[in-house]
Amino acid sequence: MAQIQPPGFPIERGKIHEFANSLLDDDPLYHDLNAARAAGLPSVVAPPTFASAAAFFPDPNARGPSIKGLDMRFLLHGGQELIFERPLFAGDELHSEPGETKSWEKEGRRGGTMKFIENETIWRDRAGKIVLRVRNTLIQTAGIVKD
Amino acid sequence: MREKIWSQVKVGDEYSFELEDVKRTHFVRYAGAGGDFNPIHHDQTFAEKAGLPTVFGMGMFTAGVLARVPSEWFGPTSVRRYAIKFTSRLWPEDTILLQGRVTRLYDEDGVSHADLGLKATNQKQEDLIRAEATVRDWRP
Repeated sequence: MAQIQPPGFPIERGKIHEFANSLLDDDPLYHDLNAARAAGLPSVVAPPTFASAAAFFPDPNARGPSIKGLDMRFLLHGGQELIFERPLFAGDELHSEPGETKSWEKEGRRGGTMKFIENETIWRDRAGKIVLRVRNTLIQTAGIVKD
Repeated sequence: MREKIWSQVKVGDEYSFELEDVKRTHFVRYAGAGGDFNPIHHDQTFAEKAGLPTVFGMGMFTAGVLARVPSEWFGPTSVRRYAIKFTSRLWPEDTILLQGRVTRLYDEDGVSHADLGLKATNQKQEDLIRAEATVRDWRP
């Protein structure tokens, strides 16, 4: 897949509108520029989990853990932690850098040995200020986990 | 904005809503909007080869819907921290109950904060996600 150039994660009004609709969220602060301005905001707000759409804008300088060697059939998303220094608005452009990566193994009850990979991505705005930290936990199981 | 919530909110207050009868189309729309094209979430053949009865929803779809609890309740600019743990899968035709409860109220640097306990459960009362959020009275 081609990458956006120059690398970065532009927070765009149309993408926010589409993302909020995919969560069936009709809050005017996501969809209505005039409502956002009337509330004293620079533009529409990005929903809290919007940064997961950053998957569209992989930054070659700031990759998370490589997916190579992991079996996509048996890869689970264990959890995520988002820490905001401020809300994200349309018009922001973010750049990411890798934070800490940790991995550990645990004997699972249902799927054999499980490998946990936790990685942190740090997002900065145009001014270079940290606006968001994202910590993801991926779990590689030995086989398919039955519910 | 929802500033007036801060003068009314109490520990133990609750907020909830339901998302009924989730369809595969919800997963596909979220894939387009959020960029998660893992075929396990949209390709029946792929899901069956992996030993599953059908496709299941992205955890971040349910997490995004659950984030509507803090964002609708305290406003979209209020979220300071959102931490989620996925526990069970979301299947097509499930109904999700999204719930939040205030667990702590406090001031930090003169700004009102609230900690929330959150969960998304299905129609069988199984947890899909357990989560925590911290919201604050953020002003532009």
